[in-house]
Amino acid sequence: MALSRRDFLKASAAAAALAAATGGRLGVDDAEAAEGGLKWGKAPCRFCGTGCGVLVGVKDGKIVATKGDPAAPVNKGLNCIKGYFLSKVLSGKDRLTKPLIRKGNRMVEASWDEAMSLIASKFKESIAKHGPDSVAIFGSGQWTVFEGYAAAKLFKGGIGTNNIEPNARFCMASAVTGFMSTFNSDEPMGCYDDLDLGDTYFLWGANMAECHPVLFSRLIDNRLKNQKVKIIDFGTRHTRTSQMADMYIRFNPQTDLALLNGIAHIIVRDKLYDESFIRKHVVFKKGKTNIGYGLEDKFKFADDPKPMSFDEYREFLAPYTPEYVSRLSGVPVNTIEEVARLYADKKRKVNSLWTMGFNQHVRGTWVNNLVYNVHLLTGKICKPGENPMSLTGQPSACGTAREVGTFTHRLPADMVVTNEEHRKKAAEIWGVPVEKIPAKPTYHATEMFRALDRGDIKVLWVQVTNPFQSAPNLSRYRKGARKGGGRFIIVSDIYPTRSTELADVILPSASWVEKEGFFGNAERRGQQWFKMVDPPGEARNDLWQTIELAKRLGYGNLFPYRYVEKEIFEEYRKFTVGGKDLAPYEAYTRARGLRWPYVNGKETLWRYAEGYDPYVKAGEGVKFYKNKPTDGRAVIWARPYEPAAEVPDKQYPFWLCTGRVLEQWHTGTMTGRVPELKRAYGTAVCEMHPDDAKRLGIKQGGKVKLTSRRGSIVLTADLRGRGKAERGNVFVAFFDENKLINELCIDAYCPISGEPDYKKCAVKVEKA
Amino acid sequence: MGKDGQNGGPGCTRRQFLKGGASLPLGLVMAGGLVSIPYLRRTGGGEFMLRPPGALEEKRFLGACLKCGKCARVCPYGSIRLAGPEAGVAIGTPVIIPRKEPCYLCPDLPCVTACPSGALDRGVQEVEKVRMGTAVIVDRANCLSLRGLRCEVCYRNCPLMDKAITIEPRHNERTGTHTIMEPVVHHDKCVGCGICEKTCVRERPVIVVQKSPPRQDDHYEF
Repeated sequence: MALSRRDFLKASAAAAALAAATGGRLGVDDAEAAEGGLKWGKAPCRFCGTGCGVLVGVKDGKIVATKGDPAAPVNKGLNCIKGYFLSKVLSGKDRLTKPLIRKGNRMVEASWDEAMSLIASKFKESIAKHGPDSVAIFGSGQWTVFEGYAAAKLFKGGIGTNNIEPNARFCMASAVTGFMSTFNSDEPMGCYDDLDLGDTYFLWGANMAECHPVLFSRLIDNRLKNQKVKIIDFGTRHTRTSQMADMYIRFNPQTDLALLNGIAHIIVRDKLYDESFIRKHVVFKKGKTNIGYGLEDKFKFADDPKPMSFDEYREFLAPYTPEYVSRLSGVPVNTIEEVARLYADKKRKVNSLWTMGFNQHVRGTWVNNLVYNVHLLTGKICKPGENPMSLTGQPSACGTAREVGTFTHRLPADMVVTNEEHRKKAAEIWGVPVEKIPAKPTYHATEMFRALDRGDIKVLWVQVTNPFQSAPNLSRYRKGARKGGGRFIIVSDIYPTRSTELADVILPSASWVEKEGFFGNAERRGQQWFKMVDPPGEARNDLWQTIELAKRLGYGNLFPYRYVEKEIFEEYRKFTVGGKDLAPYEAYTRARGLRWPYVNGKETLWRYAEGYDPYVKAGEGVKFYKNKPTDGRAVIWARPYEPAAEVPDKQYPFWLCTGRVLEQWHTGTMTGRVPELKRAYGTAVCEMHPDDAKRLGIKQGGKVKLTSRRGSIVLTADLRGRGKAERGNVFVAFFDENKLINELCIDAYCPISGEPDYKKCAVKVEKA
Repeated sequence: MGKDGQNGGPGCTRRQFLKGGASLPLGLVMAGGLVSIPYLRRTGGGEFMLRPPGALEEKRFLGACLKCGKCARVCPYGSIRLAGPEAGVAIGTPVIIPRKEPCYLCPDLPCVTACPSGALDRGVQEVEKVRMGTAVIVDRANCLSLRGLRCEVCYRNCPLMDKAITIEPRHNERTGTHTIMEPVVHHDKCVGCGICEKTCVRERPVIVVQKSPPRQDDHYEF
């Protein structure tokens, strides 16, 4: 970094003064700091779903520094170690700067015109021969809102296919279906302020200390200030989060379903519930059981909800006695009783927080439903400091994938293609005939890669993501991509990845502040930024790429914009009026993010809560007004415990769990370009329990071979690392492009959400 | 693990070493070349040389070490190097430069086993008993964790995590809603392997291994 720290502080003081003078509008052109031609602009961090604000220092057209934005409410000037190195993420030596076209085994430089002509011809050819459902786009929770919106409009409204999916299907689709089935509206009622205001926090399958570092810092600060605060970590692996928690509760993989029903059982048995809350705000339902795992191609599932009474729900809970749940989960009976009482304690403000342990789960929707059950039974919801909250892993999984609706079944603002009214509304705003938007969803992510493998999808465009490292049962889908037979893969990215190596055309993209953007974080906060520097070489915005394809396919009229980003946003905002209510674009340029619904110039901190949510009338207290079919009530679901798709047996006796580490992000394509982060954690290792290692003759630092029914891998054994595997479990991080652990993962998924279970499959462990 | 030690930088390449005409056994040269002393402890450690696990007290070590290079040869990570001519009398003795490659504390300590002279004490059998030096945060102002960022890379990489380095959380006055997660080194547990120094993300490491302070016994047990 060219700046000394002293320069840095001086410059930022100048920037802050200027920001105050201009009402906080911080585009790089506006925030001209007095010193040395250095300009600062605001942007959300490029990495996780926390949405920390950063200031980007630009000089002579280059990013020379970044730092946490002191004015950003999420992080108040702090960052994690990934955010600290943001400026290096864009400037790796091997940035892609020219379009590349495959000629045999070589990738040859080409002009944009050649590349786009080739892509357009492949799209046209495939659509003519095999119909619109033979082309597809696989996007991302790192798409900006504009990029996701343009892609959805082109594919659903132009080409006329629902073949659009985001990688968010791999990471939070179960949270979506959980929210939708319980509240009929996606995204949380609470916000990050709950981390400061509550006193009891249950973490479920969430390693916040590493995966939401700045939020964890906030949570721990709450405990430092308030002795009453308790943090209880439910997990199958002892993490840095468990280390700092007041209580670590180890449970057998998959038995979170039983535990939550066990907790509900005790709450109902001992009448610890809030009867008046239940009477006013809750209905009970049950759905299908024994719902399968989606292991076969073209697996289909439709739930069949049936109403039930509180008494019937009580009967459903009857088998989940603490003794039964203890036998399944390995959690002592006393602990289950204690936890249920903590959840129900009327003097405690209780929050549940979860991430991939819940969502990447073959019963992901169910386990999301079950945690809501506990909050709904006790009435501990929709209050400041008292909420269930799903944390997200990508910067705009909420803002783009979910809110814009870049899933096969979705349309913007929680609408779905299966609903004729919704299709009409979308067609009207998009200016296309309603018949254009197909009424049937096609493939969710895993099925999309299966369709490519079978040859039902011929042309696939991948933007801002790396599925040929991140998909489960990876070998099948990597092979499928290169089967030939007319298959044609386009990958837009900023670096060579395990996905670009399978591409027929590689397009060099602009990233982050090399373009204007908009992300939405996990607390419904939308954050805008301006373009601050040019992308290197001939790299171009993904938004431009999508619109360029549209033009070449004859759908240029769908994108008649001059100030593309702003006009797309304002068009998209029409979908949100009277519901998610995004603010006018201009408002975001000035604010450090705004939480929707934004009504009458005010953001909303707590949804469904009187006094905070503008749609809740005086006297209503709490109103789940989005759930019109149940007269504004939330649903308590009877969802049973069902086992995992693949359970350890004699041949494959260990559970394999995958996940993340603080220093690396997702598939490591960005953080892997930062030498300091590589030095800090450069290679994926296999965490295992010392007793298991001893039995198998494996030593610290020795080689270990993991084999599942789908693949095998050799890794270095780590018996003393940051995560302590429980007996019979191993853990491997998935960021390492040289260690494709996802080749071992099973592509079983939650039948309701379609999200695969990356946390549980069976492996054999041997000394290598 | 980074192999940056091989690309230029201070130290003595095999070629320079041969040109210089020093006459050490070939085994030494094979074991990874020699390194120059001025580089060893630029940051605050004086003339401290980080020796392999089990090394005797420095004077006795120098007397006992045969400079045979066997410890360096068996080190699976190439962490043990041999000091160059700049080391004067210590030329050819084994040293570890954490920033290039620290000691990864092999459970069976092969370097100790390989030492024919007892300069590396065979009595040291367990990793926890090793005392090569002690890690110290020498530059608190530049430590990112102490500035409230969520770094703590040294802590999470410590092979004796939660023993040799722990996290002591305290309130961050500046933001009012966050925690400063302070890495604290415990001298009675730190073995001086240098992994923290190696992995520190700053250009110059803010945590470095120094000579362990001498024990000062008294009767207090806390």
